Amino acid sequence: MKKTGFVILTFILGSLLYAQENLLVIKNARILTVTKGVIGKGHILIQNGKIIDVGRDIKIPNSAQVLDAEGTLITPGLIDSHSHLGLGPSGGVTEDNEVSNPVTPHLRIIDSIHPEGVPPHRHSFQHALSEGVTTIIARPGSGNVIGGQSAALKLLGQTVDDMILAFPCDMKMAMGRKGYGAKGMMPVTKMGVAYLVRQAMLDAEDYKLAWQKYELEKTKTPEKQPPKRDLKNEAMMKVLNRELPVHIHAGQVDDIMTAVRLGDEFNFFKLSIGHGNESYKIAGELAKRGVVVVVGPQMIVFDDEGNLINLADYLVKHGVEVNIMTDADVVQQEFLRFQAALAVKYGMDPQEALKAITINPAKLIGMDNRIGSIEKGKDADLVIFDGDPFDIQTRVLKVFINGKVAFQAEGEKEKVK
Amino acid sequence: MRLFIFIIFVPVLIGAFTGGSEKEHLVIKADHIVTISQGEISPGMILIKDGKIAEIGKAIPSLPGNTRVIDVTHKDSWVTPGLIEAHTTLGARSRYGSSNSDETSNPNTAQLFIIDGINPFDKGITYTRMAGITTAMISPGRQNVIGGQPAVLKLVGKTIKDMTLLSPAGVKFSLGEGPKNTYGKKDRLPSTRMGSAFVIRKALIDAEEYARKQGAFLKKQAKDNKAMPPKRDLQKEPLARLLNRELTAFIECYRVDDIMTALRIVDEFALKAVLIGCTEGYRVAEDIASREIPVVCSPFGVGPRRMETQNIRVDNSAILAKAGVKVIIKSDEVLGMGSLRELPMHAALAVKGGLDKKTALRAITLSAAEILGVADRIGSLEVGKDADLVIFNGDPLHYLTRADYVVIDGHIVYQRNPQ
Repeated sequence: MKKTGFVILTFILGSLLYAQENLLVIKNARILTVTKGVIGKGHILIQNGKIIDVGRDIKIPNSAQVLDAEGTLITPGLIDSHSHLGLGPSGGVTEDNEVSNPVTPHLRIIDSIHPEGVPPHRHSFQHALSEGVTTIIARPGSGNVIGGQSAALKLLGQTVDDMILAFPCDMKMAMGRKGYGAKGMMPVTKMGVAYLVRQAMLDAEDYKLAWQKYELEKTKTPEKQPPKRDLKNEAMMKVLNRELPVHIHAGQVDDIMTAVRLGDEFNFFKLSIGHGNESYKIAGELAKRGVVVVVGPQMIVFDDEGNLINLADYLVKHGVEVNIMTDADVVQQEFLRFQAALAVKYGMDPQEALKAITINPAKLIGMDNRIGSIEKGKDADLVIFDGDPFDIQTRVLKVFINGKVAFQAEGEKEKVK
Repeated sequence: MRLFIFIIFVPVLIGAFTGGSEKEHLVIKADHIVTISQGEISPGMILIKDGKIAEIGKAIPSLPGNTRVIDVTHKDSWVTPGLIEAHTTLGARSRYGSSNSDETSNPNTAQLFIIDGINPFDKGITYTRMAGITTAMISPGRQNVIGGQPAVLKLVGKTIKDMTLLSPAGVKFSLGEGPKNTYGKKDRLPSTRMGSAFVIRKALIDAEEYARKQGAFLKKQAKDNKAMPPKRDLQKEPLARLLNRELTAFIECYRVDDIMTALRIVDEFALKAVLIGCTEGYRVAEDIASREIPVVCSPFGVGPRRMETQNIRVDNSAILAKAGVKVIIKSDEVLGMGSLRELPMHAALAVKGGLDKKTALRAITLSAAEILGVADRIGSLEVGKDADLVIFNGDPLHYLTRADYVVIDGHIVYQRNPQ
C-alpha cells in the first residue's frame, strides 16, 4: 500500500513540475505541527514557498495541485542546532578554527563554507537533506576562546549566500579549551579563558564609547575624524548591545558556570551552552536564567555513581530548554533524527525530542517566525516520512524547502550514498 | 569403605570452599527466546545451572529446588544471547580512560598482546555491558600495519585473567590511512599504501623462515631430546602461528584498493583471514565471497567520515551477505548512536539497507562468536553453552528497546529496575 502510494506520489510530483499554478496542497497526511499539536489526515496548502493554510477542514482552491500523502507523516524541516557542515574534515586542518589567535570575533563562518562539502564530505549537503535536515546552525569551532560569528543556513542553494537564513545568528565562544598553552600564549589556564572574554567585552565598551563620543562631537565640529574601524570590536559591540545571542561551548560543570558567570556580568543575550555534558549537575542554575543547552553529540552520560543520565530528557524535566545537535561530522549530519531518537529511547517524550530539532533551535536564533513548525505563514520546509520519524527503519520520502522539492527518495530502493 | 568416605567427603569439601549459597539456579521465562541457532521459542524457558545453559524449551517440567525464577512473560520480553562486539579498542583506548591500543614506535608490533594494555576498571566496559554486550574482541587499533594480538574478553571481571575467553585471538593488521598517516608524518615507512603492503609481506616472509626452523627443531626433538631450540623471536612467533593457520589474521581495511591488497596477501600466504571495516566491500563482494572470508563491518560510518570511508553505503552488509559472505556487524565507537552501547542500532541500520533481520541478529551474536573462535562457548542459546544472555523489553532491533537484564556466566551483572 505504501509502495503504490509512493509511486503515485512520485508521478504526481513529476507532473507538478510542468504546472502553471503555484498552489500546492499536500493532502491526507498525519501532520506533526510541533506547536499546534497533531492533525490526523490533514492538509497543508503551500503558495510561493509559504504555508498559507494547514488543517483538516481547510479550503482547498480547485486550481491547487494535489499531492496525496495518505499514509505518511509530515514534520517541519529538521534543524540541526550545531553543525560543521561544509567546513572540512573533523580530524585534520579544518576551516572552522583560526588557531592563530584565541580571540577572533571578527571572523565570519560563511567565509569558510563550501556549499557542497569537500572530500570526504563531498556529498554532505545531499546526505543531510536525504534524512530531512533542512536548516543547520553553522558555527566556528571551539579551538578559540571567541571563535567568530555563526550562521543559520537552509540547505538549498548554489552558494552559501543563497543558503543564508540568518547571519550573524550568534557569537561563538568556548570555555575550557586551553590549546594555546603549547604555543606559550594565553590561555594556558581556564582563568585565562575567562579573562580573554572579559577583556574583549571591555574593549568593545571602550570602542562603543569612542563612537558615541564621535557622534556627539560631530554635531558641533563636522570636520572631526571618526574613530578607526576595528572589526573585532565592531563584532563584540553587537554582543555588548544584546543584538547577537551568545553560544558557548562548555562540557564540564566548572566551564559551564564560568559561561553563566560571564553571561551574568555582561548580560549576554540568549545564552546557550553547547554540549553541556555535565549540565545536569547545575540544571537549576541554568533553568532560573533561561540558559538553553544544545545537547550532543553525546546524548547519554553517566554520573559519578555510574547511573545513566539521558541528558536532554533530564534537562527538560528540570526546566531547561533543550536543542539537540549532531556536531556534524562528529555524528554525521544525516543522523540528526537518530540523535533525538536516542533521547527518546532512554525516556524523553517524543514531542519534546521533536521540538529539540525543530522549534527550539528556531527560537534560539530568533527565526521561529520563519521555521520550526507547520503553521500558517511560515516557510514551507517540510519532511514527509513513511512512519515514526525516530524509527531507524522509517524512510524519508520527500523534503521541501521554501516549497521546493529539495530531496525525494528514488522508488523503494535506498538511495546510493 | 575408605573410598566411599572419600567419594562423599570430597564433593562436600569442594562445596564448602566454593560457597554453597552460590549454587542457586536461575530460570528465565520470557515471551520470545531467540536462540539464533535453533529458531525462536515463544514463549519459552531457560534453566541455568553453574553458569551454563542446562535446559531450554517451551516448558521445563521439573525445576530443581533452590531456583530463582525471573518471569518476564506478557511484557513483550525477548531473550537473546549476550551480544558480541567483534572488534573494538574498549578498555585499551576509551573516552573514559587510557590510550594503550597503538604502539606507534614501530609499524610492526606483532609481539604485543592487547591484554597487557586493558584496564578492567575502565568505565566504558561497565557502560557497554549495561546495554547487553557481554563479550568483545578487544584489539590493537589501526595505526600500526601489524598492531599485535587481540583477545576475546567477557565484559566482566576484576582482572584480565577473569575476563579472558581467548588470547591471543589472532593478529591484527591495518591497511590504508591509519598507518600511512601515522608513519607518513614521521617520514618513515610506511608513508604509502605500497609501504604498508611491503611491511606485511616482509614480516611474513621472515616469519616463514622462523616457522621452518621451528618445524625442523620439532622434528629433530622427536628423535633427539637434547636438540637445541632456535632462539625465540617474540615478533615472529605469532606470525609463524598465523602461517600455520593456528591464528586468524584480522585485517582492517576500508577502501576497495586496500581490500584487494588484503586479499592478495591472504592468497599469497594462504592465511585464515577476517576483514574489518570493509566500507567498499560492496564493490568486490564476489572476490571476498569466493575466498570465504568473513567481514566485520558497520553498515554506516557513524563517526567522522574519513577519506577512506566516504563511499560508505547503508546496503554494504546486505550486498556482502547476498554474495555469500558471512557478515558480522560492529559499532564505530563514537558519540551518539555510534557508541558501542548502540550495537543493535547498527544491526537495525543494516536491516534498513536490506539485510534480513535474522542475519542481522546473527551478525552481532553467533556469526561473531564463530569468526572469533569461541562459538563452542557463546553466541547462541544452546544447552551446554555459557549462560550469557540479555532480556530485552521488546524486539532487540527496534530503536526503543532496552536491556532489562544482562546475564554473564549465569550471574545477573545488570538489572535495569532492581526490585
